Amino acid sequence: MAVLRAFGIEASLPAGFGGRIFVRPKVGGEEPYPVAHFATFWLPEEVGDFGGGAVTSMRPTDIFAVLFEYGPDALGKALFARQGMPGPLSVGDFRPTVLRRGLPAHVGTQWVFTEAGRPFTFYAVLGAQALAPQLVPSVNQLLATLRVQPPGGVPAGPGGGTAPWN
Amino acid sequence: MVALVVGLVVVVLLLSLLVAGLLRSHADILRALHSLGAGVGDPALDPDAPAQAGAGPTPVTIGPPLPPERSAAGAPTVAGVTPTGEALALPVGSSGGLTLLAFLSSGCTSCAAFWQALSGGAPAGLPPGIGVLVVTKGPELEAPTEVAARAGRARVVMSSEAWSDYEVPGSPFFALVDGTTGRRTGEGVANHLPQLLELVRRAAAEGDTRPAASRRDRRPREGGPEREHSNDRALREAGILPGDPSLYPRSLDDLHGQGRPERQAG
Repeated sequence: MAVLRAFGIEASLPAGFGGRIFVRPKVGGEEPYPVAHFATFWLPEEVGDFGGGAVTSMRPTDIFAVLFEYGPDALGKALFARQGMPGPLSVGDFRPTVLRRGLPAHVGTQWVFTEAGRPFTFYAVLGAQALAPQLVPSVNQLLATLRVQPPGGVPAGPGGGTAPWN
Repeated sequence: MVALVVGLVVVVLLLSLLVAGLLRSHADILRALHSLGAGVGDPALDPDAPAQAGAGPTPVTIGPPLPPERSAAGAPTVAGVTPTGEALALPVGSSGGLTLLAFLSSGCTSCAAFWQALSGGAPAGLPPGIGVLVVTKGPELEAPTEVAARAGRARVVMSSEAWSDYEVPGSPFFALVDGTTGRRTGEGVANHLPQLLELVRRAAAEGDTRPAASRRDRRPREGGPEREHSNDRALREAGILPGDPSLYPRSLDDLHGQGRPERQAG
């Protein structure tokens, strides 16, 4: 089982999953925070934070998931009141209306929460609503392996990655 | 003359003593082996006779046990870190296309030409549709700055586990993985880029027996950065430049104009 570990985020990838944990380079005065992408298909080198450039390549059996961290100013806001990772998710948690980019047959789910004192959103897309009963257990398997360290234990970022904002 | 003969006799005696000592030492070793139950070639036993429990010779293993036969078919996920500290895991075995894994080191002189060829992306002459992934050993054995200096635009993963998974004997070493079957279609050593390209071309041709339709197009479709650039281009062509007031509507009238249809209730 491949293990991804960077920026205080760790995931033991279920079979068939690939992934990437990275921090985008700074743009202007904006402070970037870690983003973790997980997918059952080949992720292009440049993928938007929430799957732009990747979800269009999904087959019906594919899964794409994002763990996106927000800045500390989000802490304490009502939106991030939920404590801890979501899960286990059910088929009913995935809906077409949640998708960032509406694509035929796709369904998605999004959860906003605080884990280990860090504000996150978890967003997942399934390649086909009809296959949700088969795909949701894999999403839950991935969710169960996600670990987040408190902010103090997060190592410094690389000082600029290779992927630009989009 | 007499002195020479005496000298020769002394030398022969000394050599005889040495040979006798070696024979005795050999006999001691054989006796010790017999006492341990590891007799080899005991003339008292008929080698064709069926072995009796506890009486026959015991096979002797010299050195550490040999590793099991090398598995050159599997294509495990390549997981590690990039030279910039990101974590990256690529399931090359289920990528849907062909991936060339180039196992390179920053210090190996034979690798220099490959680093140079791959730093600009996929090298010219590589069959289209083949992804290239450079795999170095992990940061515990390779300096990320050295790797980053050579990587250029090449996609690089630093992973000692991948070297172990793919049983890489040394660098440079290459493996071509078919992401539709999850198997390696070819692997080997190449010392020059043309040699590598020929190996890849041959492996890809031999491995690709399925119709092209069953292969997955890994080229990114328009989305993400491409989509954004396309939108920017369309806006520029329409005369809408950054800062144009139409990009910052403050009301629905700004969006739809004054004559917009009334919003339907509900």
